[in-house]
Amino acid sequence: MGDSGNEYRLLMPLIPALLIVPVLAIAGVESVDAAFLIVLAPFIAFPIILISGQVYNGKPTWKGTLKEGGVIGLSSLLVSLSTAVWILVDYIRGAREISEDAGGRVAASWMDWISFDVLHSDYTMSSERIIGVGVWIDSVTLMLLFVATFLCFLICWFSLGYMNTDPINENRNHRFYAEFVLFAMGMFGMVLADNFLWLFIFWEIMGLCSYLLIGFYFWKESAAYAAKKAFLTTRVGDVFLMVGLLILYDIYGSLEFSVIFADPSIHGTVDSDKLFWALMMLFVGAVGKSAQFPLHVWLPDAMEGPTPVSALIHAATMVNAGLYLVARMVPFVDIGHHGVAGLDELGLIVAYIGGITAFMAASIAFVQNDIKKVLAYSTMSQLAYIFTGLGVSLWFYSHGKTDAATLVFGGSMFHLFNHAMAKGMLFMASGSVIHEVHHAHDHLHEGADHDHHDFDPQDMRNMGGLASKMPVTSAAMMIGSMSIIGIPLIGGFWSKEAIVAKTWKASLDYEPLMFGPAILVLLTAGMTGFYMSRMWFMTFAGEPKHEVVEHVHESTPWIKEPLVILSIISALGGFGLSVFGIVKWLAKPYSYDLGIHKDSFIDQVIYELEHAFLPEDPNLRIVGWTTIFLSLVIGPIFAARVHGGSLREGQSSGPLVSWLVWLSGKFGSQDVTEMSKSSLSEALQNRLYFDYYYELALSKTVLPLAALAAWFDRTVIDGIIKKVESNSVLGSIQIRRVTTGRASDYILMAAVGALSIFALAWGVSG
Amino acid sequence: MIDPSWIAALGVILFGIGLLGTFYHKNAIVVLMCIELMLNAANLNFVAAASHYGDVDGWVFTAIAIAIAAAEVAIGLAILLSLYSTQGTISLDAARELSN
Repeated sequence: MGDSGNEYRLLMPLIPALLIVPVLAIAGVESVDAAFLIVLAPFIAFPIILISGQVYNGKPTWKGTLKEGGVIGLSSLLVSLSTAVWILVDYIRGAREISEDAGGRVAASWMDWISFDVLHSDYTMSSERIIGVGVWIDSVTLMLLFVATFLCFLICWFSLGYMNTDPINENRNHRFYAEFVLFAMGMFGMVLADNFLWLFIFWEIMGLCSYLLIGFYFWKESAAYAAKKAFLTTRVGDVFLMVGLLILYDIYGSLEFSVIFADPSIHGTVDSDKLFWALMMLFVGAVGKSAQFPLHVWLPDAMEGPTPVSALIHAATMVNAGLYLVARMVPFVDIGHHGVAGLDELGLIVAYIGGITAFMAASIAFVQNDIKKVLAYSTMSQLAYIFTGLGVSLWFYSHGKTDAATLVFGGSMFHLFNHAMAKGMLFMASGSVIHEVHHAHDHLHEGADHDHHDFDPQDMRNMGGLASKMPVTSAAMMIGSMSIIGIPLIGGFWSKEAIVAKTWKASLDYEPLMFGPAILVLLTAGMTGFYMSRMWFMTFAGEPKHEVVEHVHESTPWIKEPLVILSIISALGGFGLSVFGIVKWLAKPYSYDLGIHKDSFIDQVIYELEHAFLPEDPNLRIVGWTTIFLSLVIGPIFAARVHGGSLREGQSSGPLVSWLVWLSGKFGSQDVTEMSKSSLSEALQNRLYFDYYYELALSKTVLPLAALAAWFDRTVIDGIIKKVESNSVLGSIQIRRVTTGRASDYILMAAVGALSIFALAWGVSG
Repeated sequence: MIDPSWIAALGVILFGIGLLGTFYHKNAIVVLMCIELMLNAANLNFVAAASHYGDVDGWVFTAIAIAIAAAEVAIGLAILLSLYSTQGTISLDAARELSN
């Protein structure tokens, strides 16, 4: 393990990458026109890393200075990040002037990719643009772009420490970094795409990279299986997505955002049933990508990949692609602004899928012992919150209640931001734990001929009491968990509160059917409090449960910095950004006449606090305080009773962490061995048997069908071809008997034949 | 100027010689030459017709036919070479693989 101070000189190659944006700005390039750099930089880095990795594999410079391609990847991601920040700053500075424009949107279109010349009935030709190349930038794009570039950069940084110090990855890391930057390109491209076809193409690139990276340890059977499962499950959704896009093309004759969103109802002539099915198909695609019920089975298994991959792809970025797609559906249903009437079921369906997933995933997370699996189910559950919020928002839009719709839309997008930051960080923190536990285990058994397979460094039952050993990680994980739970004033509280409150508002004031999702998200808030606290207490509090824990040190370089940065954002970002009106800013594309608040800073702070804790509607006040009570008090106390406990004598950690650990020991302890043997617990441990029944269903339907198809292919199709072949062989043998084999004879035949044809033709015409 | 019918007659005679030659000769090279003879008989007719009608198409066809004939001869000779290397002779009576 290298000296960490010495390691940072490796960052020298990053300086030119950092200079690109200032140089372009001085040269007078518009920030929007530089947007292609965001996608181009990782796209160029991908072959460079892959090819140099193959050529220089094992060389000391490649391994030491370039970190097996990690530094190249980091430089390219820095170009993307700085360009994204540049566009963001320009957008915010210019936002005041363009706020009156339809949602403050900036679009740049550089070239036509596919265009057709169309011949009209009056014999005039015109060139019709089908697919162009360009970008579509509004506040939703920018938020997601910032999340993606920022987290890609930080997680690539983290990987330098995590991947390159693990002997199992020796000389294979160039594959990791190459696939990593390719994924980054897919994500950036999807977010920036200005039409549905490009969105779909980049969507598929992400799917491919997800498959490759889950299967990074392909020699492990479970990893290979998980990769296949993830690819095939999301493929189910992708097929639906493609069908949806084809229907959309059929309706609008184009897939460009600027054409479709300009007037989604085409002056009221669109058939709402047809559009409904198109949007449902898109939604199924989103469900597959974002791992929602019933296509959720791939996400927990995807944790077989390296931890940075789990952090980036399966928590912070790729799984948000589905949410982004659903967020883009707003113009279709927004009847206040050229939307199509009669699409109210869409919002309900989205909200129900979200509510069911949130509840189901949270309950499964109750009993998981693998630290990454808990986080995976938590991801599913939190994404489901955002889906619920978007569903409610779509419902509001389709009933013309733009104000409420705007707030919950912005809240959902804000939750996406908070969740991505917190969950990316939580996964990195869990990676730090796993990494150090693994190292400690290797250290403990150094030289001894031991079997690796009887010790699982991801199992929380082998941990406990790590708070004193890993002060930074435990503090980071505490803040991240608080943000996910929604502890008041921290991170996710602000956005989760908005979603829960607006779902209840929809159910109480307007639509009784919304009660289902509303009660589910409320219960899930408390359950989140339980399983996140349980994870934290099991890992960091109480007595060490394994001898390995004594030997854990927090010493790997490159790992702490991302944790610290993201902790600060998770802790303060929620309050800080909501005071600056991020909820309204995020909803700007779809709130066509919403004024931007011009209150003073203090007024804004008071307004936000009042809004969160003392809303005017008495029902919402009850709902809000119930949520806070469930997530802040009930959930964590139950978790503390089961898994909490003080550290060993003489061990201490950071101030807040120590206090929390001390507090967790004060609620008494409860034995849950009996409870964990109940049939419900068993069902939860088996993930409610979804995988079992899916496999059963597949083996009863797809496999017989495949066998039938194979039989048909072998006997009927091949049979016909073989019969033709063998018969022509037989025929040839018969004909061969009458031939002489002399070339002259054949020529004679040809001449006689030609003459007879002439004679015949002459006879017929004469 | 010669009457084109005389030229056409010459073409027919040449074609007949070529055709009979392909029937009765056993040497593959002679057969190839006879085929060329037939081709040129056809060319002669083209040229005659072209000069008779004052139309350039016949000349063009002839030029193309000559070019193609050259390619065909090259291929024919290559086939004969490989025939010689496998059979040791270029007599067409020896090359009767197809008969059984």
